[in-house]
Amino acid sequence: MGWLIVAATYAVIAAFYVRLGLHALSWWEAVRRSPPSAPRGIGASARAFVGAAVDVVFLRRLLMVNPALWVGEWVFHAALFVIILRHLRYFMNPIPAWVVWAQTPGWIAGFLLPGALLYLLAIRLLTGQEKFSSTANLLMLLDVLAIAVTGLLMSTRYRADLAAVKLFMLGIVTFAPAPPPLSALFLGHLGLVLVLLLYLPSHVFTAPLAMMAARSRELELRRVLHDA
Amino acid sequence: MTRDRSFGQELSPRQLIEIDACTQCGECLKHCPVQTVTGNPAISPPEKIRLFREFLRTTDGIKARLGGAAAVDPRLLEDFTKAVYECTTCGACGQNCPVGIFTQRLWPAMRKELVKRGLGPLGPQPNLPGAIERTGNPYDKPAAERYAPWFPQQVQVAERAEIAYYAGCTGAYEAQPMVRGDVLVLHAAGVPFTMLPAEEEVCCGFPLFITGQHDRLADLTKRLVDGYAARGVKTLVCSCPCCVNIMSRDWPALYGAALPFKIRHITQFVADAFRQGKLRLPRELRESVIYHDPCYLSRGVGVIEEPREVLRSIPGLTVLEFEQHGLNSRCCGSGGAARKVFHDNAIAMGRLTIDEAVAKQADRLILSCPACYAKVNEAMQGYEKQIRITDIMELLASVLAEEPG
Repeated sequence: MGWLIVAATYAVIAAFYVRLGLHALSWWEAVRRSPPSAPRGIGASARAFVGAAVDVVFLRRLLMVNPALWVGEWVFHAALFVIILRHLRYFMNPIPAWVVWAQTPGWIAGFLLPGALLYLLAIRLLTGQEKFSSTANLLMLLDVLAIAVTGLLMSTRYRADLAAVKLFMLGIVTFAPAPPPLSALFLGHLGLVLVLLLYLPSHVFTAPLAMMAARSRELELRRVLHDA
Repeated sequence: MTRDRSFGQELSPRQLIEIDACTQCGECLKHCPVQTVTGNPAISPPEKIRLFREFLRTTDGIKARLGGAAAVDPRLLEDFTKAVYECTTCGACGQNCPVGIFTQRLWPAMRKELVKRGLGPLGPQPNLPGAIERTGNPYDKPAAERYAPWFPQQVQVAERAEIAYYAGCTGAYEAQPMVRGDVLVLHAAGVPFTMLPAEEEVCCGFPLFITGQHDRLADLTKRLVDGYAARGVKTLVCSCPCCVNIMSRDWPALYGAALPFKIRHITQFVADAFRQGKLRLPRELRESVIYHDPCYLSRGVGVIEEPREVLRSIPGLTVLEFEQHGLNSRCCGSGGAARKVFHDNAIAMGRLTIDEAVAKQADRLILSCPACYAKVNEAMQGYEKQIRITDIMELLASVLAEEPG
């Protein structure tokens, strides 16, 4: 059973990299076939880069179009980021000081995450937002909510064998696999994470690039027909 | 191994990233004018992107790379084509996109791919290249009628000048009070300007670009750019937002080099003329007007303040605003070459503009786009709500005339 889980984990990670690779390949093919005069990639002046960084960190564009949704999305993304930092302790040995520092904020974020997700679900399902929501997004939201709840349960009431969890995770990343602890909650948590990885929307990687292009375009807009 | 044609063949690398970047959040639907009048999410921006991703997977996915492209349901492709062409390409979706997708260029790129696959264009759109080939304009009207019916006799056009005026096909054939106003205002500013002869002032390429029929674009661009360059032009002035948009954004790439002159929308030129004291108005106009921002002028090239500056230069005039204005203006329904294919949508959108203008008790609805001018006038035919529609330069020319026009 343990080794089956190891194999499944590697299979999902491999599928994830293949998918990323295919996207990169398609993009590279488009770069090769585009004429030299066409916009080839993401034009990035320092000003556009800083602007895009603000857009990514604060989800500025969403704030402009839907402040109610923005509150939930920002808390969700920020909490998830801190929780991922907290989880790095399972993948690193020795554990760097900044990961140690992230433990308490990560623990607190563990409570914020399901709250933010429930808020987002409420906004989408109860406020007329529903007709604008895709089914895939809702399923993804439910998956992350289940990950958050199982994680929260493990960090508060039903603790898994942390040493075994670390051996398993470290084994995966160092290609020296060890079987996982056979805790139902942990296996459920891991399974949900693997499902998320399988269906992880590629906008996670490309949305920041699109935001950078949009920033460049906005800066250009002032110059298209103006001498500025 | 030879691969089947990719669905992303006509998309730039940036556009492929944008296709990936869509979060399917649906925020854009709230701002889509086609959604407002049809309420059909199947033709919504996120649905188009979701379907296009599916199509991309059939030609660029792992199965396609290992075993050849998978077949796509022809009915699905047909529905998708209709959805892409039903769009007015107004860009409101992109303006309100939380990741900033540039939809005003993404949808035309998809159309280009559909044309290459023999699925588009729709309705009378396939006739455009032939008409432009025959007569130089998409309306298939004789070049001899391009200027003659509306050009003011008292205005002299220079053989060579630093300023050139491009009337554009829609203005010249479908919105003649507008182009007549342009020329009268240029004349009043006292600046010598040149124009190409009617048979040489061919289509700017926008109708072909927007319907995905790009084959003749580079040729049209070269003819026009070389024609103006030969006349020593340093600034090309035009009042059509669609022409101005393609000239400033796409002509350099189509021409293969930087343009030898600047492009200016006429409101920019006239706002400058007011600032420099070249234009003085002999009388005031005690009216309240409401100004509609054309999508391809505001969202397209950022000309938002200048038309208002021109209107505010008219003494006595009160300028009202639509609820959605500037970068968030609402499409009048004429955009994207959809107005002659999806006529009912266009009329319904035009009437939304009329409704608000009437509700705000404006004396006139001021437009600055020949396509808007033609469509909103058409939308008012047989409609219970009526308002006087005037082009911005038509209005200014009437105030410049000593007698009320």
